[in-house]
Amino acid sequence: MANLAEKLSPLHELAMPRSGSDKIILSERLCDSLVQVQAWPDSVGEVEKLINGTRGKRSVMPTGPGRWLIDDPAEGLEDKLRKKIGAELGAVTGLTHARVVVSISGEKATWVLASGIALDFDLSAFPTGTTQVGHHHEIGLTIHRTGENSFDLYVFTSLVRSFWQWIEKASAEPGFSVV
Amino acid sequence: MRLTCPYCGPRDHQEFTYRGDATAARPALDNTSVDDHNAYVYDRSNPDGLHRELWNHTSGCRTHMIVERNTVTHDVVSCEPVGPFAEQLK
Repeated sequence: MANLAEKLSPLHELAMPRSGSDKIILSERLCDSLVQVQAWPDSVGEVEKLINGTRGKRSVMPTGPGRWLIDDPAEGLEDKLRKKIGAELGAVTGLTHARVVVSISGEKATWVLASGIALDFDLSAFPTGTTQVGHHHEIGLTIHRTGENSFDLYVFTSLVRSFWQWIEKASAEPGFSVV
Repeated sequence: MRLTCPYCGPRDHQEFTYRGDATAARPALDNTSVDDHNAYVYDRSNPDGLHRELWNHTSGCRTHMIVERNTVTHDVVSCEPVGPFAEQLK
């Protein structure tokens, strides 16, 4: 009988490791804790302090007015934040199973993303460590720039297979590896 | 056409959803006139020139804004945030 607690990738066979060009390196990651926090208009400052007070190794990504997406490398963040941020301050929503992280890096990473996502990927408009929310056709994306040529893309779990097929095709010209 | 989201900055208009005429005023709750409500729902002036419209940044931060746009040239004059976070975005 299958272990229901075991995380299964919706990409499955699509993202099997394979060697190729190092101009593009693709990988997938399932989150341990991914939580969205939406503060009410009059509690933005207070909620921001509570989030930053427990930052640790987390990526805290602003995704809208008074809204953050928080990626933590440990399980249980949703419960921790829910205890600190009550309904009088905002809303805490667990998205751990709702997104898959597709990472892309390499000298042609920006070129590949710019071929299908209508965002300005120049470092002056999209600096390292910042986040942009956009889309590829009808697939919503939260894009976190982790370096000059590396990005984490948070993709809806139910659409990630389609997105992965696009990113492989878009990476075919320079060549790519999957790790 | 590009619209300047008050939170995200300039973005392609495909990221946004048109949410209707921003000049239409909803009748008061105690107004029982069928004609007034019919006019609010259906009557539009279809201006030739500047127009104020509600747009939502659906594929981005989901902020609502009022866009003042020339319906002939598509020149965008202004994008102002509306809603509960409007003051913080100005």
